[in-house]
Amino acid sequence: MATKEKEQELIKRLQDAIINYKVAEAKKIADEAVAVGADAYTVTMEGLAGGMEVVSEKFDSHEYFVPETLLCAKALYAALDVLKPHIQVKEGGAQGQVVLGVMQGDVHDLGKNIIKAIFEASGWTVHDLGRDVPLQKFVDEQLKTDSDIVMLSAMMTTSMVGIKKLIPMIKEKNPKVKIMIGGAPITEKTVEEYGADTTADNAPNALREAMKMLETLRKGKAA
Amino acid sequence: MDHTIIFQPSGRRGLVPEGTTILEAARRLGVGIEAVCGEQLVCGKCRVKVMEGKFPKEDITSSMGHLSGLDEKEVKVLQRKESEENIRLACSTKIYGDVLVFVPEASRTGKQVVSKAAGKIKVKLKPAVRKYYVELPLPSLDDPLGDFERLEEALAKAHGAKKLSIDYRVLQQLPDAIRKGDWKVTATVWQGREVIRVEPGKVESSIGLAVDIGTTTCAGYLTDLNTGEVLATESMMNPQVRYGEDVMSRITYCMMNEGTGLKELQQTIIEGLNTIAKQAAKKAGCSPEDISEMTLVGNTAMHHILLGINPEYMGVAPFTPALHESVDVKADRFGIHILPAGNVHVMPIEAGFVGADNVGCLIADQPHKRKEMTLLIDIGTNGELVLGNKEKLISCSCATGPALEGAQIEFGMRAAPGAIERIKINPKTLEATYKVIGNDEWSDGKTNMQAKGICGSAIIDAIAEMFKAGILRKNGQINMDLKSPRLRKGDKGVTEYVLAWKHETSIDQDIVVNQKDVRAIQLAKGALYSGCLIMMRKLGIRKFDRLAVAGAFGSHIDKVEAMVIGMFPDCDLKKVEYIGNAAGDGARIALLNVDRRREANEIARKVEYVELALEEDFNDRFGEAMQFPHMFDEFPHLKGILPGKAQEAA
Repeated sequence: MATKEKEQELIKRLQDAIINYKVAEAKKIADEAVAVGADAYTVTMEGLAGGMEVVSEKFDSHEYFVPETLLCAKALYAALDVLKPHIQVKEGGAQGQVVLGVMQGDVHDLGKNIIKAIFEASGWTVHDLGRDVPLQKFVDEQLKTDSDIVMLSAMMTTSMVGIKKLIPMIKEKNPKVKIMIGGAPITEKTVEEYGADTTADNAPNALREAMKMLETLRKGKAA
Repeated sequence: MDHTIIFQPSGRRGLVPEGTTILEAARRLGVGIEAVCGEQLVCGKCRVKVMEGKFPKEDITSSMGHLSGLDEKEVKVLQRKESEENIRLACSTKIYGDVLVFVPEASRTGKQVVSKAAGKIKVKLKPAVRKYYVELPLPSLDDPLGDFERLEEALAKAHGAKKLSIDYRVLQQLPDAIRKGDWKVTATVWQGREVIRVEPGKVESSIGLAVDIGTTTCAGYLTDLNTGEVLATESMMNPQVRYGEDVMSRITYCMMNEGTGLKELQQTIIEGLNTIAKQAAKKAGCSPEDISEMTLVGNTAMHHILLGINPEYMGVAPFTPALHESVDVKADRFGIHILPAGNVHVMPIEAGFVGADNVGCLIADQPHKRKEMTLLIDIGTNGELVLGNKEKLISCSCATGPALEGAQIEFGMRAAPGAIERIKINPKTLEATYKVIGNDEWSDGKTNMQAKGICGSAIIDAIAEMFKAGILRKNGQINMDLKSPRLRKGDKGVTEYVLAWKHETSIDQDIVVNQKDVRAIQLAKGALYSGCLIMMRKLGIRKFDRLAVAGAFGSHIDKVEAMVIGMFPDCDLKKVEYIGNAAGDGARIALLNVDRRREANEIARKVEYVELALEEDFNDRFGEAMQFPHMFDEFPHLKGILPGKAQEAA
């Protein structure tokens, strides 16, 4: 077991590695954390998620843009791949589950990948279906995993129109599931027109929206 | 129930069904209102002022109450700019009674400065259409041979044209035409096999029309088929612009309006082509019917829509076009008003996103005949790249989006009078000076320049100048550590740089470049740059010998500024060549030489298409290319121009 001090030091260094997108460094620190027996869950949540939180803030304040965020995500995954096998899920600590994918006919997955990184860093379970995903696959995956939220990405107006068809397909099987849509052509108007629950114009906002929806869902369940 | 709507200042009026949006009514009545975001309630460029009261001259009572109510989203968009009374967004406001609407200057689709001038081309004259003058032997009871066979014999004897057929419509007029010319006629023959016109007497002039259908602008070149000379150039905005600014939004329009959308768009472009034919003919002093052939280039979506082919499947992955091969169709089959039996030759296609316009560029520039390695960039609403030489050519399409043309930019506008077209920023004072289209003077900060917005080429200037002056960091962030009244936080907390003060503009507000604009340009130029890089890697080369920049917009770009922001990899600036509207030149070449049509078909199939998004590391390369000029790459040819290391480290 690592001491509390050692754990804190590792967390701090991991945060810095992610914020400053030092990929090799992030992996090295993660290896060290495992070697000294630090709690993988704590290191992930505070080191990785904490680091990505700062990245999100920098994105919000326009200090970072897509390139930096992509690199941060890389550093994140380098560490996460090491830590993941050692994480023991804690009761009540787990976040929600999402099904994530790029619409059929669309192969632009940059935005989706950033979303995935930010969500995974925050402890969400992400079922990533990849790109050019057939509509039915979203429906099946949601049912199979009983995910709370389905997140659909489209970078082209031509693939965006598939969302209109897909939302009733998902809601028909499971009216409670929340749907978030995102991508360049999507606006508030699309959300309303297509019957989605919400949209977000970047990954940090997507996470905030997802948290809100999850809260509503859990309240609904508790009541 | 129908209601009357009147648009001012154009004075157009008409009846529209209840519930029609103001924008839709404007479209029907031919009133140009900007709709940059495609009715998504985003851009706010379609604002119109609703006039209230009784208008006896117009015989209507106009009222805000005759319109659908304001909703939250519209309010949000409207609030972005200072509010004025009775302003509504044309795209979302529905008509429930008579209204009189004023379209402010900023919302009008201005008369664009279209500069698709014809380039110099070298081509051996071998047109598909030839005119032959023949004198026919008079028939007699001893020689009662039919008119057509008589014509055919004479053509065979005098010009060696054998085994001809005749267009049905021409046949109907043949006996009269021959007799009217007193047995002396001029026959127009297409591809040495079909008679498509018979004119009495001797007619020497032979005319064709080459047209480039761009997503934003269309240009027609009326060409003398005997000499290759351009008789008249006629250009116009693509009238489909009112259905959406970019290709994807037009494809979506077809998808969302099943059964009618495609027809509507097709009809719109055909009307546009007819206008071009008519105006060009008028300029040259002939009639549209004298145009005996038309060649067309355009991107794959424009191609499909023109031919009435559903563009839906080429609009989604795997982006398959209906066909690659060129198409020949009789003009009157589509209602194109040139010689009714005349041929319309639609050039071949390379791939879903590399269309006939790119093939036009290729046969004009002929990189496939050169030893040197050419990188050809055609920047339009989409960016198409071709790389290679006579050994091999590969192509790709970059989703640059319309940002480089000024759309998606807060104060972006088309290259029309009032648009800022050149910008310089003093790195010491951080003061800007600029030039406006229609005015030769540079701004002095005091004079009212009547500036309305910023056009595409100037956006590149602005970003490059801001970067060189240190206002932009390498990662695109506006550097608020600098002190200047021009640097500030805008209404919504977005940082911005003031390019023109309110008193210099005709829109009663400051013109700024904000952080979001910079991000949009970063995405666009990152797409281009990473496209170049991946293509170079595919061919295993580190540098190219020659950069050919095509496209009307391309020739307005300052090449140094373009390299400063990193639109393309470092290269010798002396080897950067503007090849003008090469797509249009290609259409003219095809018009003048049938062998080059074959070449076009061959090359269209030979070019290997690379789908960038499928490259495993595309996202990483794309990300790196978003920085100025690039995250890692060196630019030895910009030595002394790029800001120093301190800036790069920022």
